Amino acid sequence: MTGDTWDLVVSSIGPLLSGAIRGTIPLTLISFAIGLVLALVVALARLSRNRLVSGAARVYISLIRGTPLLVQLFIIFYALPSLGLVIDPFPSAVVAFSLNVGGYAAETIRAAILSVPRGQWEAAATIGLDHRLTLQRVVLPQALRVAVPPLSNTFISLVKDTSLASTIMVTELLRKAQEIAAPTYEFMTLYSLAAVIYWLICLVLSTGQSRLERRLDRFVAH
Amino acid sequence: MLRTSHRLLVLPVVLAVGALAACSSGDEAPQGAAGSEAGVLRVGTEGTYSPFSFHDADGELTGYDVEVVTAVADELGLDVEFSETTWDSIFAGLEAERYDVIANQVTVNDERAGKYDLSEPYTVSTGVALVAADNDAVTSLADVSGLTAAQSATSNWSQVATDAGATVESVEGLTQAVALLKQGRIDVTFNDDLAVLDYLKQSGDTSVKIAFETGDTVEQAFALRKGSDLTVRIDEALASLRADGTLTQISEKWFGDDVTQ
Repeated sequence: MTGDTWDLVVSSIGPLLSGAIRGTIPLTLISFAIGLVLALVVALARLSRNRLVSGAARVYISLIRGTPLLVQLFIIFYALPSLGLVIDPFPSAVVAFSLNVGGYAAETIRAAILSVPRGQWEAAATIGLDHRLTLQRVVLPQALRVAVPPLSNTFISLVKDTSLASTIMVTELLRKAQEIAAPTYEFMTLYSLAAVIYWLICLVLSTGQSRLERRLDRFVAH
Repeated sequence: MLRTSHRLLVLPVVLAVGALAACSSGDEAPQGAAGSEAGVLRVGTEGTYSPFSFHDADGELTGYDVEVVTAVADELGLDVEFSETTWDSIFAGLEAERYDVIANQVTVNDERAGKYDLSEPYTVSTGVALVAADNDAVTSLADVSGLTAAQSATSNWSQVATDAGATVESVEGLTQAVALLKQGRIDVTFNDDLAVLDYLKQSGDTSVKIAFETGDTVEQAFALRKGSDLTVRIDEALASLRADGTLTQISEKWFGDDVTQ
């Protein structure tokens, strides 16, 4: 590592972090939050006794899981304008990532709900709780504990997937690295540095997982 | 119990609002704003193609094409607004009306002229073939047949390589192609001599060399959507910038040479 390369690393950290703080991190948090709410709705739809509702949810999940995220991004950003729907880069990315998380996390949540023993529903019925209250107070809290590890996986994947937004004019961490690399021709250095920062973001963002798991242990019937 | 499960549902919403608040305070340049505004020339460019369109040490977008198109906008009395995108999506962005003009060394060719409006050219350059420094076997287009080249998929150089009989791998740009060349994964890459000379100058790279010039002069122009009412106005602006020496001045600054004709 020559002195010049070292200087470049030092001078690049600031701009790269700004790309992370303005792009990567908000993209991840906003998309994950929206995606999670969407996933809960879709999971409940999937479990619905109404054929139409569960069918629609099934098609949505299949579509999201069966097509590449990059293609989904391109369709939202480049193809929708031909239908008269022009969404700015950042919101386009949020829409794509939220829909994506919604599809994947829906299956996680559905499986978690199904993992709660049947007896819990019956017990809730005996004390006179209706369907909604049973779900809200008895089943979902227990399901949540089961869902945390796989959801954390989805979350960590999303942090790295946001790099795809660099292809639709969103200036996030990867795009910043490319901007700095272009005039200096130091792609190797910048990509490595970006990788380290992605890793750090993932480390920081995933510290909450085990604490959350311990907190949620309270809801699990032992 | 009820309170806790509610709180868990509220958490994502709070997160979202917080994150939105955090990122709305950003003062980044506008990114491909939707819808055309009066008084603004919306330009699509790569931002990673030195010395034409790149970010300087302060992170400011600059370069030959950036300055030329800015001068054109000034001439037309318009503010200029840049959207940065990868080359392979740059025409998709134009068609999706993310911007109205591409300023990124768009080489004039029949196929493009059929699909888009092209302005009068503002750069004239030639193509060069770049090979590993120890490769003496490639000295003309005829030698390229059967070799492996790397080009960005939608560039005219990709066509040059294909026509010469090379197998073409898709890459992002010149720098990536040079990396593949150095690693021995490909034999040759074609590009604009101005870009290649800038690369050799800036990087001091001696592991690659220019094998030959393709011999064809290529002209670069701004690209607009077919039938754009801006095309004529941009041509007029270019003509007066050429007449008053502004174009030459910008070219001298970036290349130490007049590459505008």
